[in-house]
Amino acid sequence: MGSNPRTVPAPMIVEDWDQLTFRVNREAYRNAEIFARERGWVWMHTWLYLGHETEIPNPNDFKVRTLGGRPLIFCRDSAGEVHAFLNSCPHRGTVLCRENEGSTRLFQCFYHAWTFRNNGELAAIPDAGAYESSEEFGASMGLRSVPRLEIHEGFVFVAFDPDVPPLLEYLGDAADYMTMIEQQHVGGMTTLPGTQLYSVRGNWKLAVENAMDGYHFAPTHNTFVGYLRESGYAVTDDNQYAYNLGNGHGLLVLTGHGGRISMLWEPRFGEDERVRTEAHRAEMTQRLGEKRAHHVADESHILFVFPNLLLFDIEGLSIRQLEPVAPDQTDVRAWQLVPREEDPDTRALRMKTVVSFVGPGGLATPDDIEAYEAVQRGIQATAGTVQPELDYSDMSRGMADEVKGVQGRSIDEGAMRGFWRQWVEAIGLDDGLEIHGERPASFLAGRDVR
Amino acid sequence: MTMISNSASVRCAGHTVTRQEVEDFLYTEADILDHWDYDGWLALFEPGARYEIPTTDHRPGWSPHETGSFVDDDWDLLRARVKRLKSRKAHAENPHSRTHRLVSNVRLSEGDTEDAFRVSASFVVHRARDGHFDAYVGWYDHLLVPTEDGLRFRLRRSVLGHESLAAGARLSFIL
Repeated sequence: MGSNPRTVPAPMIVEDWDQLTFRVNREAYRNAEIFARERGWVWMHTWLYLGHETEIPNPNDFKVRTLGGRPLIFCRDSAGEVHAFLNSCPHRGTVLCRENEGSTRLFQCFYHAWTFRNNGELAAIPDAGAYESSEEFGASMGLRSVPRLEIHEGFVFVAFDPDVPPLLEYLGDAADYMTMIEQQHVGGMTTLPGTQLYSVRGNWKLAVENAMDGYHFAPTHNTFVGYLRESGYAVTDDNQYAYNLGNGHGLLVLTGHGGRISMLWEPRFGEDERVRTEAHRAEMTQRLGEKRAHHVADESHILFVFPNLLLFDIEGLSIRQLEPVAPDQTDVRAWQLVPREEDPDTRALRMKTVVSFVGPGGLATPDDIEAYEAVQRGIQATAGTVQPELDYSDMSRGMADEVKGVQGRSIDEGAMRGFWRQWVEAIGLDDGLEIHGERPASFLAGRDVR
Repeated sequence: MTMISNSASVRCAGHTVTRQEVEDFLYTEADILDHWDYDGWLALFEPGARYEIPTTDHRPGWSPHETGSFVDDDWDLLRARVKRLKSRKAHAENPHSRTHRLVSNVRLSEGDTEDAFRVSASFVVHRARDGHFDAYVGWYDHLLVPTEDGLRFRLRRSVLGHESLAAGARLSFIL
C-alpha cells in the first residue's frame, strides 16, 4: 500500500465471548484499500475456482474467464490436458484470445501475429531471425501458465501463488461434499450450456453471507415459500444446521426448503417423477450404502468454498462463481450441473425447477440480490460518522449455543462467522481481529457423512 | 433465430392476421406491463402458455429444457410469477420499477402448427429503479394464436441482445 496513509480502520472484526457478540466493520464492504488487499492477498494467495472440466470436454476446447481481474484462457490442449494460461501475449501483453469460447489448436495474437500452441508452446514468430538467439528466446516466450492448477471431481481450481498447499489439503472437509455431488448419479455429472452471467451492485462478501444465511429465507422469500406451500410442500426451518468446514469454507444442511429433482420428491414434480425418484434412491442405497445415500440424497447442501465458489445443491445443482469487480460491484457466473445420463422428462423438470428459484430471473434470487444491494446502499448511513462504533454489522446469532457446544442451526450466523474469521486472516491486517474473552474449545465440529 | 418473412399478413387457423393487428397487440401489452396491470397481462395468454428468457450466451436451437436459462415458466410458474409480482412481498419489485417499452421491427411468419403463427419484434425496455436507469435490448420470438377474443400468447419469449446482465439488471420484472 506504499506510503499512502492507511484508510482501513482497526479492528475489522470484534469477537466478544463475554458479551457473545460478533461484529463486522462495514468498511469491509466499501473501502478501496480493503478491496485492493483482497485482490492482492486473498485472490493472489489462495486456490480459486476456475471452472468445471466438462465445460471444455474435447481436445482443443477453450473458454475465457476472468479471476481477480486477470483475463485467463481455460483450455484443453490437443493431447487432452487441461490448462489455464494468462490471456495476454508474452510479447506486448495483448489479450490473445478474444472469443469467449470455441475450439482451436493455435492461439494467434492479432497485433503482431505471434502464434502459440494450445499447450502453451510458442509456435511461430513472424520474422523470428530478427531476434539474436531465436531458439532460446522462443523457449522463454511461451504462454504464461497460472502457477498451480489442480482438479477435484471435475472442479478445476487455480492459484496465482506457486506455494499454496495441495488442493485437497486446502479444501479439507469441503472436498467430500464435492465427491458427494459426483456420487449422486452413477454416470457422473456434467455442466450444461446456458450460463447465467449477471452483475450485482453489492460487495462480493454480501453474496457469501446471503448464501450462508438461512435466517433470511422465510422473510426474504415469502412469495416463494407461498408458492411451495400452495403446491403441497410444507416449508420448515427445523432440524437444519450450519457447519464451519475450516479454511473459511462453510456448509448449510437443509431439508425443509423444497424437494430435489431425482433425489427428494415433492408434489409439484408429478407422479411419473415420484416413480423415477424412488428407483434412483434404491439404486443409490445399493451403490453407496444407506447412510451415505441418506446424506447424498435426502438433504440439500449449500457449500461455500473460500473465496469464490458456491455450490447450491438444492432443487437441482447450481455452480455459482463470484468475481469482485469493485468494492460495490460483483460479477456472478452460474452454471447448472446435471447428471450425464438423465431421462429427458426429468431433465426438463430439473431445468424448469432450478431456474424457477435460482438466477436473476427466478422467483427467489432477485429478492436475495435486492437484499444485498440494499445492504450496500444502507451501510452508507453509518459511514464516517462521529460514532464509529455504530459502523458495524451484527453477526452474533447462535453464539450462545456455540459456547454450549450445541451444533449451530442454519438460521444462525455461525457459518458467516467462520467465513469472516478466515477473511480477516487472509487480508493480512495484523490488527484486523479483536477478541474479548475466550473462544470455546469445540470451535470446529466435523460431520460424519460416511 | 431463422430469418422470417416480411409479409403484411399471415394465414392462421382460417384467419388472416395483419401486421397491424399484431402491432396493436404488442403495443397494448407494452402499455399493460408499463402500468403494472399483471392480471390484464395474464389475460393475454392462452391457458397452458409459456414464458421464456434464454441466457445471454444463448445460441439458436438451444432448448430451455436442455440448457440453463433465465426464465423457463410453464403455465403454473407463469401464474405463480404473476401472483408473486402482485404481492407486496416481492421485495425485488417493491417499490415497483418504472419501465418504458418500445417495440418495433415487427414481422410475422407461419408457425410449426396450423393454429399458431410466429412473431418477431425488437424491444427496448428502459427501467428506472434505485436511482439507476438501465436499458434492456433484444428481440421477441413469440408464438401467437388467433382466438374469438383476439390474439393470445402461446409462447412469449424475450431474447436479450446483451453479452451479460449489467449490474443491477436482474429480471425481477417482466421483460
